[in-house]
Amino acid sequence: MLEFIEFGKTWMPFLLEGVGVTLGLWVVAMVLGFCLALLLVWGRVYAAKPIYLFATAYVEVFRGTPMLVQLFFIYLGLPEIGIVLAPFTAAAVAIGLNTAAYQAEYFRGAIQSLPAGQMVAARAMGMSRFQALRDIILPQAGRRVIPQWSNEAIVELKYTSIAYAIGLTELTARAEQVGYQTFQFLEAFTLVAIIYLVLTGIVAQSLDFLERKTRIPGLTYTGGKME
Amino acid sequence: MSDNPILSVRDVRKTYGGVEVLKGVSFDLERGQSKIVIGPSGTGKSTLLRCINLLSPPDSGNVVLDGVTVEERGINQIRAQIGFVFQEFNLFTHLRVLDNVRLAQRNVLGRSKQEATRRAMEELERVGLSDKLEAYPAELSGGQKQRASIARALAMDPKLILFDEPTSALDPELTGEVVQVMKDLANAGMTMLVVSHEMGFARAAADEVIFMEGGVIVEQGPPSTLFTCPEHARTSQFLRMISHEHQEA
Ligand SMILES: Nc1ncnc2c1ncn2[C@@H]1O[C@H](COP(=O)(O)OP(=O)(O)O)[C@@H](O)[C@H]1O
Ligand SMILES: [Mg+2]
Repeated sequence: MLEFIEFGKTWMPFLLEGVGVTLGLWVVAMVLGFCLALLLVWGRVYAAKPIYLFATAYVEVFRGTPMLVQLFFIYLGLPEIGIVLAPFTAAAVAIGLNTAAYQAEYFRGAIQSLPAGQMVAARAMGMSRFQALRDIILPQAGRRVIPQWSNEAIVELKYTSIAYAIGLTELTARAEQVGYQTFQFLEAFTLVAIIYLVLTGIVAQSLDFLERKTRIPGLTYTGGKME
Repeated sequence: MSDNPILSVRDVRKTYGGVEVLKGVSFDLERGQSKIVIGPSGTGKSTLLRCINLLSPPDSGNVVLDGVTVEERGINQIRAQIGFVFQEFNLFTHLRVLDNVRLAQRNVLGRSKQEATRRAMEELERVGLSDKLEAYPAELSGGQKQRASIARALAMDPKLILFDEPTSALDPELTGEVVQVMKDLANAGMTMLVVSHEMGFARAAADEVIFMEGGVIVEQGPPSTLFTCPEHARTSQFLRMISHEHQEA
C-alpha cells in the first residue's frame, strides 16, 4: 500500500497533464455536440419533412456505427479527400458529432414528454412559436433532460480515451506510458481508473446538484414517473 | 361605441379527415353579452371555439372581431384580444402563478414588468388568488388552477373570452368557485362565449343559450325560453339527458 502511494506521488504529475487533454477534449466535444443537438432536435421535432429526414438519418448513422470507426473515418479517411485534421481536432469532432446524436434524442424525449396544451395556450394568447419555444418549451425540457444529459456527459468523458487510438497523449495514453517505463501496469491503470472515477464523480454530483437546484414541483421527471 | 357585434361568426365550416365537423355555423355576440353553448360531445363545440381564433383555421366562412376579419395576417395581435380558457387549464408548469399571468403581457403586449405585474395582481385579486402569487401550478387545487388561468386571460384585456368546458376537469366540489368567478365576470360586463353544461351559470349569467348538434346550431334563445319550452325535440331530449346526469352526480 505504501509502495502504491509512493508510485502515485511519483507519477501523478505526469498523469495529471493528461487530465488536461482529456478534459479539454471532453469540453470541446460536449459543447460542439450540444449545439449540433439543438439543430438536430429542431429538425426532428419542428422542421419540414426534408430536414426531418436528414436529422433522422444523421441520428441513425451516428448511433448505429461504432465511435472508433467514426474516429478513423475522420482522422484516417478524410485526408484522402484533402481534409487533414490534427489528432485533438479529429477526436473532438468525432466525439462531438457522435454525442450530438444522443443528446438530440434525449432533448427530443424531454420535449415530447411535455403536455401539448401549454404550447396551445401560449399560441392562443398571441405568443409566437419562437416565444413559446424560448419561454415555455426550452425551460421545461431543459430541466427534464438533466439526468439523461448527465449520463451522456459521463459516457463521453470515458469515451475520450478512444483518442488514444490516433496517438493523442491523453490520460489513458499516459497511463500506458507509465506502465512501459515502470513495468508496473497494475499500479498505473489502477491510478488512472481512480482519476477517471474522481472526474466522473464530480460531473455526476455537479449535475445532480444543478438538477436539484432547478427543480420545480410538477415538472421533474423521476424514474419515468411524474412527481 | 357602435351597434356592431363584437364577434360575428358567419357560415363557418370545418372538415377533419373527410368528416364535416362544422356545417356552417353563424351567430353574433354583442358587447357585454354572455352566451353559453351546449350540445352532445363530438358535436364540434371545441372546434368552433378553435376556429374563432384560428387555432384550427376554418375551411370556409369568416369570423369578424370588432369589425376586423380574423385572418392569418397579424393573427398574434388578434389572438391577444381573445381570451381562451381551457378545460385542462394549461398553466405553464415551470412558472409561478404571478409569472403565468405576466408572460404573455410582456411578450405579446410589450408591457413593462411593472405594468404587467400591476395588471396580474389586479386580476389575481379578482379571482381570489392574491395569496398564491408565488405558488407553482402543481401546488394549486384544480379550482385554483382554473381561476389562475382565468386571471391569465383577463390580464390581456381581451375583447371577449372563450371558455371550453372550464369546469369539466374539476372535482364536483370545486366547480362552484370557478362558476362564481365566471358569474361575477359576466355581471361585470365581460363578453363571454362559454361551452359548458353548468346549468347554474347558464341560468344566472347567460344572456343566450346556443344548442349545437351534429355541427350545426339547432336553436338558440334566452335561457328562460330555451330551458323551459325548447322548439326542437332534439333540444328537449338533450336537456332531459343532462339534467338526469346532474341528478346522478
Ligand atoms: N384535430 C382534430 N383532428 C381530427 N379530428 C378532430 C380534431 N379535432 C376534433 N376532431 C373531431 O371533430 C369532432 C368534433 O370535436 P369537438 O369539436 O372536440 O367536439 P365537442 O367539443 O363538441 O365535444 C369529433 O368527432 C372529433 O373527433
Ligand atoms: Mg370539446
